[in-house]
Amino acid sequence: MKIKIKLITFYSLLFFLNSCTKTEFEGPSIANLYGDFELIEPLILTNKNPSFAINEQVGFQCEFNKPVQWKIAILGLSSSAYKEISGFSNLIDSNNVFWNGGPSQLPFFSEEVCSVELTIENEIDTLRDNITIVSTKTYENGIWLEDFEDGLPEGSLIHYNSDGGGMTFFVASDDPLLGNSYFKMGGRVNWDWPLGNLDIPINNANVSQSSNDFYINIGILSDIQDLHSGQFINILISEEKDTPFNDNLNNNASDLFESSMEVYKMRVPVDWDGWQIKSFRYSDFEPVSPNNTNINFNMNPNDIRAIRISCQACPSSVGNPICPENFGKDVRTDIDHIIFTTNSSLLDQ
Amino acid sequence: MKRRIQLLLVFFAILSSEYNLQAQMNDNIWFDGLYRSYFTRDALNNSTTDDTLSPRNTSNGYNLLDLNTHINPIKDIEIFAQLRIRNSFGSFFGSASGTQINVRQLKARGVINNKFRFSVGDLFLKQSKFTLYNYDEELSGFENDMFKPYRDIIHYENFYIENRWRLQGIQTDFSYEFDRFIRSLSFDLFVTRPSGSTQINETTYSSDLLLSGGSMVSEINKRLIVSLNYVNLFEVPSSGTNNISVRNPVYDLSILHHLSKDKYRIENKIQTGFSKRFWLHSELANGELDTISNHTKGLFFELDNKFIKGDSSLLLTFGYRYVDPNFRSAGAQTRRLDYASGNINTTYPIYTNMSLIRPPSAFDLVSDDQLYNQDLSSVLMVFNPIYSNILPFGDATPNRTGIYLKAKINNEKNLFISKINSGFFKEVIGQGASEKRNFVLIKGFFKINFHSWLNWKKELSVSTSSESEFTKRDGEAVSSLNLFSHQMNTSVNAELTKNLFIQASYKLFNANGNEFLTQRDDYGNITYFASTEIDQKDHILSLGMLYKFRKNAYATLNYNWWGTEFTNQPNLDYKYNRLILILSVEL
Repeated sequence: MKIKIKLITFYSLLFFLNSCTKTEFEGPSIANLYGDFELIEPLILTNKNPSFAINEQVGFQCEFNKPVQWKIAILGLSSSAYKEISGFSNLIDSNNVFWNGGPSQLPFFSEEVCSVELTIENEIDTLRDNITIVSTKTYENGIWLEDFEDGLPEGSLIHYNSDGGGMTFFVASDDPLLGNSYFKMGGRVNWDWPLGNLDIPINNANVSQSSNDFYINIGILSDIQDLHSGQFINILISEEKDTPFNDNLNNNASDLFESSMEVYKMRVPVDWDGWQIKSFRYSDFEPVSPNNTNINFNMNPNDIRAIRISCQACPSSVGNPICPENFGKDVRTDIDHIIFTTNSSLLDQ
Repeated sequence: MKRRIQLLLVFFAILSSEYNLQAQMNDNIWFDGLYRSYFTRDALNNSTTDDTLSPRNTSNGYNLLDLNTHINPIKDIEIFAQLRIRNSFGSFFGSASGTQINVRQLKARGVINNKFRFSVGDLFLKQSKFTLYNYDEELSGFENDMFKPYRDIIHYENFYIENRWRLQGIQTDFSYEFDRFIRSLSFDLFVTRPSGSTQINETTYSSDLLLSGGSMVSEINKRLIVSLNYVNLFEVPSSGTNNISVRNPVYDLSILHHLSKDKYRIENKIQTGFSKRFWLHSELANGELDTISNHTKGLFFELDNKFIKGDSSLLLTFGYRYVDPNFRSAGAQTRRLDYASGNINTTYPIYTNMSLIRPPSAFDLVSDDQLYNQDLSSVLMVFNPIYSNILPFGDATPNRTGIYLKAKINNEKNLFISKINSGFFKEVIGQGASEKRNFVLIKGFFKINFHSWLNWKKELSVSTSSESEFTKRDGEAVSSLNLFSHQMNTSVNAELTKNLFIQASYKLFNANGNEFLTQRDDYGNITYFASTEIDQKDHILSLGMLYKFRKNAYATLNYNWWGTEFTNQPNLDYKYNRLILILSVEL
């Protein structure tokens, strides 16, 4: 009898465990993943008349029956400015998916009507709506800004090859990115790489972010007509502490960019037509003299003392024919709106 | 052809030389170790026409000596160091590229006061099958003798010894004997560090990962043994810059009852336990209290019964197992083969004129020791359902319930050996659909020793095995699946002269059907099911010879024809040949 009770108890336990299966399932539904697409909630815009100048946002809300690759495209009907937001999910949540008025790339949006289109990959449905921008976003919310609106920055130095032809190293106002002024950098030096540079002193004493969270943003205007295929900008940033910005008064250039100093560089090929805003994470810059063991390359935005924007191009003359196809072409790498931002690049803010 | 003749001459020269390698000993210091020469020549098969970018053939190899030094400074302490000298073919001693000298293992062990044993350094640890256990890799179940040299190298190079994990730390064990209530009580405790803090980027460091645990085994009486096991895998947030750290404690209890008679022995074992896993968020800003996330709990239960005939001619095992979908045990569920780590095949990793990454075949799994993993993983690792879909994490595979039956039958005169391994499982909870997968596993092995049959002194044996896995899920057409994989092995072993064997084998693996590959996030949560269609056939044909100098000392020369055919698949077929020479001597 005792054995029977034990056996009954044991088999009851086995039955209990074996029947202890659950009716729901793990993970997303395969029927949803591979079944037909359905719209659960239509596209809703949280603000159809945003004032981006006072930091208003437009949130997007939509829900599908399964995770899909979606894309929201915003097009300025007057400016042709364009912004794209994309993701892979079954829910577009207005708390996480929003637009703060910036474009994906230039031009900027103006006070205008914008079309909004939500498209789903591999689905024919397109959801549409409109937004009317009441006031546009401003781009002055950075740590340091140089917009050339008041001429050259105080203490800055310009040096260029005066033997070149058509050298344009000055503040101009015919085609600015923002505001009324910008800095023209260009000309023709067929026989050598450097054309000239603009050196600007910087005081970053209040910056506490690390180099991973610190961005350098700069607007660059390239050739509109006849592109010089070998032109580029070198951005040099100096963290040299012991030397004055303009130590040698005779050379018309800053003395903080010597090879024996803590200097970082970023090379930017300039090969497009018109203005673009380029953004670089400071930690992506490389040391100019990495093999110099006397330099402590402890990259720190707080220690930045100066920035050099250097215009260069591949030589093309008979004496130095590295890029002969560019012989006689003018270089144009004009700049405007240099701004440091933290945590994200200017257009992502 | 000329090169092959030269290799054969080298092979026979090795056979004809006299070997007199033996460990040197004295009272305080003694040596042992392993010597290995390994040479391969891989070639594209002559029928390959769509790969003009890969070299037609390549040679690789090395000589290595692992010298184990055992030092007994005093009677109760032994210091052990394994020094490796490895020289790749084509390099010379002193060149940075080819010759390596490094310390492979270091350990001290001893006994304190004749009561407590301890070990410090490299440890090889194993507990129960649900707490800490290094399960065998795919395709290694009923493998034939021809692949044993390959398998030995994979196991040796990855420190796979008796299903133990190689860890670094400290261990102690001690036991007591009693004269009433219970007969004995023994303890085993350890603390190890599977991985240390490493720099992820300029300002971020990962945390130390530790594994600690202990076992208590008590022999209650002559028939009853009770075991308790505990392991915990955890990170120490203060050792890095991350304030999120994993915790994975596992508890295990087993009761073994055995009954021994003159003609048979019966063993019954009940094993159960549970696990927890969560991520602790600590050292939060503004003095906030610690929180946890992704918390899962799961239990397991197994009833295992064995019948062993007194003369060992019959071993029967049958049982029932339930493993909860949320049971997580890093020590028991970490896989040897890691498909997600970015490992690519060593032999012809890129193929075809499109420079595609070559998907691994059965031959790669059998021969490539670089595909294998030595690190414990806190989340379930990716597996390939083609080669293992039913128990990819061994008996600790979560979300399985079912019965199993194993048998081993030997003939009294050793005329034949046969083994059967079967299992009928189903999921506890569906994945992506309410319907559950059903699994059927059937494996069989049969070996005939003709020399015993014919009373020959020299060995002549033929073995064959068949291993099949069926996976099926009914329900809606969009979520239903059906996957079948089958592996067939045949081999012949013939001893020509004393200790010189001629060997031939053929392995055919084919899989077809469809499955949904599970994708998980960093915390092991399922995020997606990737639908995949499968129809492939792997083959390995081998022919060669083996000379056994003595136990664990042999030279083998083989030629392998291998490849994979895909039907209606995005991958392209491939075929390769390999000539391999291995000389392995345990000192």
